[in-house]
Parts: sequence; structure tokens; C-alpha cells
Amino acid sequence: MAYSFPEEVLEHVFSFIHTDKDRNSISVVCKSWYAVERWSRRRIFVGNCYAVSPVIVTRRFPELRSVALKGKPHFADFNLVPEGWGGDVFPWIATMARAYPMLEELRLKRMVVTDESLELISRSFKNFKVLVLSSCEGFSTDGLAAIAANCRNLRELDLRESEVDDLSGHWLTHFPDSCTSLVSLNISCLGSEVSFSALERLVGRCPNLRTLRLNRAVPLERLPNLLRRAPQLVELGTGAYSAEPRPEVFSSLEGAFGSCKELKSLSGFWDVVPDYLPSIYSICSGITSLNLSYATIQSPDLIKLVTQCPNLQRLWVLDYIEDSGLEALAAHCKDLQELRVFPSEPYGVEPNVALTEQGLVSVSEGCPKLHSVLYFCRQMTNAALVSIAKNRPNMTRFRLCIIEPQTPDYQTMEPLDVGFGAIVEHCKELRRLSLSGLLTDRMFDYIGTHAKKLEMLSVAFAGDSDLGLHHVLFGCESLRKLEIRDCPFGDKALLANAAKLETMRSLWMSSCSVSYGACKLLGQKMPRLNVEVIDERGPLDSRPESCSVEKLYIYRSVAGPRRDMPQFVSTMDEDSELRLS
Amino acid sequence: MITLKSNDGETFDIDETVAVELQIIKHMMEVGCSGGEIPLPNVAGKILAKLIEYCNKHVESGKAEEQAASDDLKAYDADFVNVDQATLFDIILAANYLDIKSLLDLTCQTVADMVKGKTPEEIRRIFCIKNDFTPEEEEEVRRENQWAFE
Repeated sequence: MAYSFPEEVLEHVFSFIHTDKDRNSISVVCKSWYAVERWSRRRIFVGNCYAVSPVIVTRRFPELRSVALKGKPHFADFNLVPEGWGGDVFPWIATMARAYPMLEELRLKRMVVTDESLELISRSFKNFKVLVLSSCEGFSTDGLAAIAANCRNLRELDLRESEVDDLSGHWLTHFPDSCTSLVSLNISCLGSEVSFSALERLVGRCPNLRTLRLNRAVPLERLPNLLRRAPQLVELGTGAYSAEPRPEVFSSLEGAFGSCKELKSLSGFWDVVPDYLPSIYSICSGITSLNLSYATIQSPDLIKLVTQCPNLQRLWVLDYIEDSGLEALAAHCKDLQELRVFPSEPYGVEPNVALTEQGLVSVSEGCPKLHSVLYFCRQMTNAALVSIAKNRPNMTRFRLCIIEPQTPDYQTMEPLDVGFGAIVEHCKELRRLSLSGLLTDRMFDYIGTHAKKLEMLSVAFAGDSDLGLHHVLFGCESLRKLEIRDCPFGDKALLANAAKLETMRSLWMSSCSVSYGACKLLGQKMPRLNVEVIDERGPLDSRPESCSVEKLYIYRSVAGPRRDMPQFVSTMDEDSELRLS
Repeated sequence: MITLKSNDGETFDIDETVAVELQIIKHMMEVGCSGGEIPLPNVAGKILAKLIEYCNKHVESGKAEEQAASDDLKAYDADFVNVDQATLFDIILAANYLDIKSLLDLTCQTVADMVKGKTPEEIRRIFCIKNDFTPEEEEEVRRENQWAFE
């Protein structure tokens, strides 16, 4: 017997359904569910801003309150995406300003955000609450001033890792005295000094402030006053953690930290002076997340700190921690879930620290909940990788960056195929993998055979032939994002697996062997894919078919080819063959 | 006392403190129309009985403040919705008609939990819903969902 609920009941049921996947499922059930769902959807996540257009979004979902957009491909973080490529958020803001006057939240990643966009946001959305700009660029502190001045109900302003044209710290004074709603403020990426008294007053009048990430320019002497005004803080990013060793500064700090009973996450610590580290010892037992990736302190001081944090779940640290520090971590931090070890001297030829594969093996042995790893190192063995794989079958994210490309197992001089093979074979829940070292097509065969839940794969300087690419495209059933650089992959595997590309969000290939002719062919064969060739060497028209393209970015889209490409980006669509012949 | 009459002729006497849980009755009381028997043409006796039982329980528990009472109520609620689908849906419709907020939240949450994690095909089967999309239309919605909104 079929039940037809009145629309208001259906809407009420849907109000308890939140995930994108579930909302998408209910929208397909039948036409009336589709209608109720689209009117009641309040938040969307768009993983590729060019996969859809602002018009399509606003037409389908008339009442959104929260929008998340991602722009440039991930390899933009390594400067592989040229300036001016795209990802400008302005067309989205302009459309949403008309369609969503009640918009509350905007979360953008790797997008170009101009001051004009920020000003439009600040004027268009009366109830705007959350602005997160993650790895964005294109704006200055003038744009931030507009946000501070006009967004009366602002709760979150988070500029994590964005590149800001930092004209002055004056923008912070634009928060009106009536602003008391801040819950989260992250200005850690800014260079210049903000007005300290304005900052202190702002912090003092926002009783719900939970997250405060300061920038480097906030000196250590200023920290106690800030902390005393916000003893309820849960997440703190310090500024520079250095000063002349002075007992009164130390005890002031120690006291201020002592009154912050809720602190769980610490970051910042630029220029940290080891003498001042003990000032945080009293709160270490409550710390679950520690980001020391700017802390240039040596292993003994790192060990002293880390061993005070038995409840640590996440640690980001420089390789100064060395194998000995990682052993101590493994012994003391049994709740560790995520570890990231960054290189202190990535461009140095010789190792400057005693950090090897052994450190990672220790942590994998000692920390049963470890499931997310990013590890920069200079040497690796298959045996170590096999150990890690067997120790941690619960691994979900594994990114290994052996600094020198094509480095073999340093003991056997073999490729690292077997080691990474063990990772994909034992870690059945692996969702993200970054490869490095010397790797042959055999490695890719292992990936295609075993990595059935893998969603994102990053490959550089690996493989022997097209077979490598074919193994991955053919075998990895859950693959969503594939990014490849400097690999001998060419036309055959790409064209043979063209249909697979419609099941993925995107494919990036740079410095590979894909020909211009193959790109055109792919564009013709697969009209719903945007096959974009990025080539800064000049116009493509006169190129021979066999010429390799510099960079290739392929993604599925319901919005057709984009119209905002710079002259070094060309889309290979059905017409290009005609136009160019 | 307020008297409610179901569509199949059963009458139920309920205390005023319980009657106000049914917003529709509360409004009637406020405008002075709650004398005599209040007929509820949209609700069967079997379902009305359950609704009244729910409201009685919640009003009772509302008076007690301890944690134990709150845990007890949670257990009661979980048990209350542990009925066959037809009854659950009848309860929802009645709770909606009579405007009993907490019961509507409870039952809608229960239905939402039945939907979460399921494919559209499974959802159609559970709710006996006919798919009125053409294959092309359905394909287009699915594509837009997966390519744009996931």
C-alpha cells in the first residue's frame, strides 16, 4: 500500500536527513520527493566549481543557507597550475547575492577571491555567519575590512593558508563594538601586525570564542592578556613564541595557560624558544591536537613536549623530531590517529636530521589508532613499508614523500613496488594514497588489484608505460581524483579508459606523454567531459597531432565547457576538430 | 476533562494538562470551543489511543526532573516507535493533524533513520513508492547529483 505523506510531513522527515549522499538519494525516489527535497535542501558541497554552474545550482535549490566550493586542482599547491587559470568565485557570489539573500555560510577552497567578491558578500547577505577561505588568494585586507564592518552576525572568519595582500593590520578595527558573536577567528596566514588593543577588545567581548589562531606578528608578551580574556578557548594558535628569557613573562604565560581549562588544540609556535615551552606543560594532558610545523626546535625539546601529551590524537611536526622522537611518541601517545612529518630542509641534498623509515615504523607499531599519515623522508625500504602495512591495516590515508624522485629501496636497490603493494593489500579501507620512490608498472598492477576503496591517488615520477595508468583506471573502482606528474603515461591507456573518466571527479596529468591529437579525440568521444589542455608555449593550432601537451585537466561537468579560460587553456570539445581543421 | 472522539466512534477522556500537548486542541481551548465531544474525523480509535498514551507519559515525565526519568522516557520513546510500518505512518499523520510536536519529531526522525544510507530503489521499496521519473529524467537527476553535488 502506497503512502503519500502531506508535503509538510515529508519536509519534516527530510529535516533529519543531512548528508549529501542521503539528500541525493531521496531526490531520485520520485518527482514529489525531488520537489520537496530541492526546496528543503539547505547546504551543498560542490567538489569542482566547474562541474556545475551557479545558475543550475540556484535554479534547483532555491533556499540554500550553506555553500561549499572547491576551485583549483590539488596540484596547485605545488605551483603546477599557472596564474590566471581560473576558479574565480565572483560569478557565484553575484548569482547567489540575488538568489540567496539569507545565505549564512560560505566555505571556499583553492579559489580566487577578490576584494570585490568580499565586499559583495558583506553587503548581500544580512545573516552571514561563516566565511572559510582555505588556500584562497586574490584578496587584500581591504576586503577583510568590509567583512568585519558589515557582517553583523559573523561567527567564523577563517583564512587558513590563504594568500592575502596584507596592506595593513588596520582591518581588524572595523569590527564594530557591537560585534560579540565570534566563535572562530583564524588569521594565522597574515603577515602584518594587527592592532593589539583592537584584538584584545574583540576577544574580550566575544564570550563564545572557541578558536583563535593568531599570526606570527602577535608577540609572546601579548599572549597572556589575550588568554585571560578568553579562558574558554578550545583551539589556540599562538604568534611567535619567542622572547628574551624573563621569569615574569614566563610565569605570566604559565598562569594564563593554566586558566584555560578547555584547551584541546595548539598551533603557531613560530620561532619558538625552548625555554618558553614549559609554560604550556600544565595543559598538555588535555591536548588532542598539536601543530608544530613551524616550530624549529630539536628532538630533545620535542620529545619533552610530546611525552607530556598522552591524549594526543593529531601531531604535525618538522622532521627535527627524528626517529628518536617518533619512538617516544609511539611509547607515550597511544591515542594518536594522524601524523604529519614535514621536511625542515626539502631542497638540501644531504639529510640534515636523523629521520628515516624507522621512525614511521615505530609509530605504526606503537599507535593502534594511527590511520592517517603524511611523511617526508629521504630513504625507505620495502621491508619497512610491509611492516607498516601489517601493523596498521586500519590505514585510510597514506602519503609518503621520499624527497628525491625515483629513490629505490636503499638496502636492496629494488623498486618500492612490493612495499606499496603491501600497503594496498593490507589496508583495505585506504581512501587516499600518495606514492614516491622508484616504482614500476607492477606497483600499479597491485593498486588496480587491491585498492578497491581508493578515492584519491597522487603519482609522480613513477611507472614504465601506459600499462601503469591502465591498471589504475581499470581496477580502482572507487577512484574519484587522480593526479599524475612526470610519468611515462600516454594516449593508449587514456583513450582505452575514456568512459572511466565520467565516473571520476577529475584527472590531472602534467609532464606526461599525452599527445595533442589524443586530447582532441578524447574531447570528441566524451562530450560531457571538459578536456582542458594547459599549454603556456603558445597557440595550439599550429601544433602537430603527436606533440605532447604540457598539462591536461579532465573533469566531468553538467555545465559544459567553461567560458572563462585564459589564453593558455583550451578545451577540446566536439567543435575543436572542425574549427582547427 | 476534555473528550475526544475518534472517526470510528471511540471516546477518550483526557486531562486538560494532557490535552494541551495536542496543539490543535490547545487552540480550541484557548478560543473556548472545547466543550462537549471533540470529533476527530481523521484519526482512528486505535491510533488515538496510542497518541494519548504518549502524551500522558510525556506530561508525567515532564514533572519529574531526574536523569533517570529522562533515560526512562528515551527508552519509552524507542519502544513507542517499535511498531509495524503501517501503524507508524498512521501515527505520523495523526500527530501532524493534531500537531503534537514532540511526537512528530520522534516519528519523523524514525522514518528518516529508515531512509539514511539507503539507495533510491530501497527507499521506494520500503515506502511502496512508484518511480514516476522516466529513465532519461532519472538518469539526468542522478548525473547532476553525482557530478555536481557530491
